[in-house]
Amino acid sequence: VKRWLPVLVLLAVLAVALGVGAAREARPSGTSARVTRIAKDVRCPTCEGLSANESDAPASVAIRDQIRAKVEAGYSNGQIRAYLVDRYGQDILLKPSATGVSALVWALPVAGLTAALAGLVLVFRRWRRARSQVAPADAEAGPSTRRSSTSCSTRWPTSTPSGRRATWPTTTTPPCAPTTPPAPRPPSPVSTKTFWRTTGFW
Amino acid sequence: VKRPALWIASSIGVVVALFIGVLATRDAAANRVAPSPLVGRPAPDITGPGLDGAEFRLSSMQGKFVLVNFFATWCVPCVKEHPEMVRFAQGHAAVGDAAIVSVVYDDERADVRRFFAQRGGDWPVVEASGAKVDWGVRGVPESFLVAPDGTVLTRIVGGVTASGLEQLLAQAKGGGR
Repeated sequence: VKRWLPVLVLLAVLAVALGVGAAREARPSGTSARVTRIAKDVRCPTCEGLSANESDAPASVAIRDQIRAKVEAGYSNGQIRAYLVDRYGQDILLKPSATGVSALVWALPVAGLTAALAGLVLVFRRWRRARSQVAPADAEAGPSTRRSSTSCSTRWPTSTPSGRRATWPTTTTPPCAPTTPPAPRPPSPVSTKTFWRTTGFW
Repeated sequence: VKRPALWIASSIGVVVALFIGVLATRDAAANRVAPSPLVGRPAPDITGPGLDGAEFRLSSMQGKFVLVNFFATWCVPCVKEHPEMVRFAQGHAAVGDAAIVSVVYDDERADVRRFFAQRGGDWPVVEASGAKVDWGVRGVPESFLVAPDGTVLTRIVGGVTASGLEQLLAQAKGGGR
């Protein structure tokens, strides 16, 4: 229990923070609070990098006044945002809306991350499978059948039985040529190209 | 060449001075047509008191081309475009095919009254606080040409000229509006 205590405390803090945040967002608020909240998401039409809530430019003041009028007239936050987009265009919002083509701004990073994770899982599985196939083959082959090229070259006759010096290359099979097929090579550190090949993208 | 650094610095200084001179003396861009979500859609109605105190409605002007002009007396390009608008209004007063409506943008009624008394212009001037946002106005001067059927045809930012307005009007008439 002592070992897990810090984790439990962290989880409890996280749950409380999320709860408080959610309750705060959902809490019904007054007209001014709603005007502020909506104006924070609206771009000041005449200034750079400021919201209509922060700016005192005439255009921002007019937007705040109009938001207030709409709130008092019973419009919802979404309806007020839609009204502003209708009059100024989509770029009046500081945060892109989560509908239509603008939703891609939110969806694409999530989709990209998911695809990347799925790709990694696929690659790791393939590697694991390849390694498990290599290991038994190595065990069956044993070290005696695998001859190094060095040992062959040392045993390669420097002259033919007729006394003539052998020249390289030759079609004669060297006496030390392995009779068993060479075992598959174990997986080496993977290059970028190999990575994309194994994921099927190449 | 003796003292090359001095020559290079002097050359750069002359080029910069010329550049500033050109920027300071050239005319501001006029009749700049800009996109607006309102173009091609019914014009939002404008209601409010005029300078004479009587209630004004934009919808009452249907049947003729209307230039809806957002302006302020403290705005230099607005002051500059005013004589051009007076000329345009006078040119169409007899025919009655086009008219102007000015919407006050963040200004005092007394200043606006004095502005029109000094510079001329007998078209309706309206105080309608909500119209700025209803029309998606970002700054002044900004104008919209509205067709006789109440459709927004064009948004013009940064001032107008009489000849530019005539050209836009001719285009609109040629387009069957």
